[in-house]
Amino acid sequence: MKEIWTSIRRTPYQSFSAFLILFFTLFLTLILFVSLTFLYGTLNYLETKPQVTVYFQNKTPENNIFKVRDELMSSGKVLNIKYISKNDAFNIYKQLNKDNPLLLEMVSADILPPSLEIYAKKPIYLPEIAEYLKKQGDIDEVQYEKDIIDKLLVLTNAIRMSALIFFSYLILMSIVVLTTMILFKIALKESEIILLKLIGATNSYIRKPYVLESLFLGMAASTLSFAIFSLIVLYFSPFLQSYFKGITTLSVEVFNFKLIIWPLNYIFFAIVFVTISFFGAVISSVSSYIATNKYLKV
Amino acid sequence: MITFDKVTKKFPLGNTALSDVSFEIDDNQFVFLVGQSGAGKTSILKMITQEIVPTSGSIIVDDFDVTDKNFSQKIELRRKIGIIFQDFKVLIDKNVFENVAVSLKVIGADSSEIKNKVKKALELVGLSKKEMVFPVQLSAGELQRVAIARAVVGDRDIIIADEPTGNLDPKTSWDIMKIFKKLEGKRTIIIATHNTDIVNSFQKRVLVLKEGKIVKDQRKGGYEL
Repeated sequence: MKEIWTSIRRTPYQSFSAFLILFFTLFLTLILFVSLTFLYGTLNYLETKPQVTVYFQNKTPENNIFKVRDELMSSGKVLNIKYISKNDAFNIYKQLNKDNPLLLEMVSADILPPSLEIYAKKPIYLPEIAEYLKKQGDIDEVQYEKDIIDKLLVLTNAIRMSALIFFSYLILMSIVVLTTMILFKIALKESEIILLKLIGATNSYIRKPYVLESLFLGMAASTLSFAIFSLIVLYFSPFLQSYFKGITTLSVEVFNFKLIIWPLNYIFFAIVFVTISFFGAVISSVSSYIATNKYLKV
Repeated sequence: MITFDKVTKKFPLGNTALSDVSFEIDDNQFVFLVGQSGAGKTSILKMITQEIVPTSGSIIVDDFDVTDKNFSQKIELRRKIGIIFQDFKVLIDKNVFENVAVSLKVIGADSSEIKNKVKKALELVGLSKKEMVFPVQLSAGELQRVAIARAVVGDRDIIIADEPTGNLDPKTSWDIMKIFKKLEGKRTIIIATHNTDIVNSFQKRVLVLKEGKIVKDQRKGGYEL
C-alpha cells in the first residue's frame, strides 16, 4: 500500500488522469448496467403477461378440459393456467354488465363456453401452445395476440444484442484508453524496467507495482462511482416509486438465481457493487498488463 | 567460465558487429575488452547477458548455453551477473540504499539479508554515510559507486562493466578502478573501456577488438590506440 501511494504521489497527473478515465468508464457502465437490468426485469415482467385463451365447445365435459390443462402444465412451458368454468364466465359477464339489466336477461351460464387462460413461461412458447391446442378435440376457438408477441420478441432480442455490442465496445474503449494512459506513466520508468530485467527480475516482479496501482485506482473509481450512483438513486427514489406503481416485483434470472431488482434492496445493491468493482479491477489490471508487456521484451 | 566459440553477429540491416569471435574467460579472471567505438565490445557484453543473441556460434556462461534455441533460464543467468553502465542507470526516485537493495529484492532476499549485504556493499564502495541520499544529490563518481555496489551486492559471479569510467574525470576514474581492484580474484570481471592508461597500469588480460574481430589476446597486456 505504501509503495502504491508513493508511486501515485510521484506521478500525480498521470495517476489522476487514469483515475478519471476509470471513474468515467465505470460510472457509465454502472448506469448502463442498472438500466439494462431494469429493462430486462421489465421485459421479464411483460413476457409473463401475454396469454393464450382457449374456448371449449359448450358441452365439453370438465374432465376433458382438465386433461388438456394437466398435459400443458406437464410440458414445462407453462407458468400458470386458469380454468374459467361456465359459471365463472357468467359471473364475469354479470360483473362486466351489471349496469345493463337487458344484457343480463339475455344471457345465461349455459350459452357461455368454458375456457382456459394460459400464461406461458416465455412468449416464444405461445405459438407452440396455440398449435397444440388447435389439434385437440372439443376446441371451439384459440386466441392469442400474435402481433404483440412477435413485436415483444423482436424488441427483447434487439435490446439484448445492442447491450452486448455496447458493452463490448465500452470494454474495448476503456482498455485501449487506459492502456495508453498507463503507457505514458510507464514510459517514464522505461530505463528502470530495462535495468530490472537485466539484473534478473521476473516479469511478474516488474509488473506487480503497476498492476497493483491500477487495481487500487480501479477499486477507488468503482467505489466512488457506486457512491455517486447510490446518491442519485436515493434522490430519484420517489419518482421511481411512482413510475413502477402497480408492479409489485421485478426480477432477473442470473445463473438460475432469481434476483429481485424492484423494490430496491440491499442484495441488489451489493451485487451491483461487486459487479462494478470486478469490472473495474479487470479492465485496470488487463490494461496495466498490456502496457507493461511493451517494455518486458529485453 | 565464459566461452565464446566462433560467434558471429550480423544485424538485420547487414552490418556485422562480431565476426567469428572465439575466446575463453576463466572463473575470477580480470579481463579488459578494448577497441575503438563500434569494434564489438558492447555486443560481447550484451551477448553474455542475452540482451542480444548471436547469428551463429555458441556462447557458454557458467554452464548456461545461452545460444541454445530452447534456452529458458535467462532470469537465472542474469542473476549471476552484475552490470555496470557508462551512464550509471541509477533509479532517480530511490535513495542510495534502495538503489543497491533492488539487486537483492529481485531475487527475493529477505529484509535482514538485504540490510546486511547492502551495508557491506556500500562500505566497499565508500558510500556508507550516504545511504539515505537521493541520486540528484550525488556526483558522477558517487553515482558510479552506487552502480558498482548494486552490481556486486548479490554475490554475483560475473561483473561486467561497459565503459565504467567513460563519463568520469581522470581522478574519479582511478578511484572507481580501485574498487574493481578490490574485487579482483573474487569474481570474474570484464570491463569494456577506451582508457589506455587504466588498461596499461592494471597489467591484466586484454582482449583487443577491431572491426568485430579479436586481433590480440594478451594475458598481461597493455594497449595502444
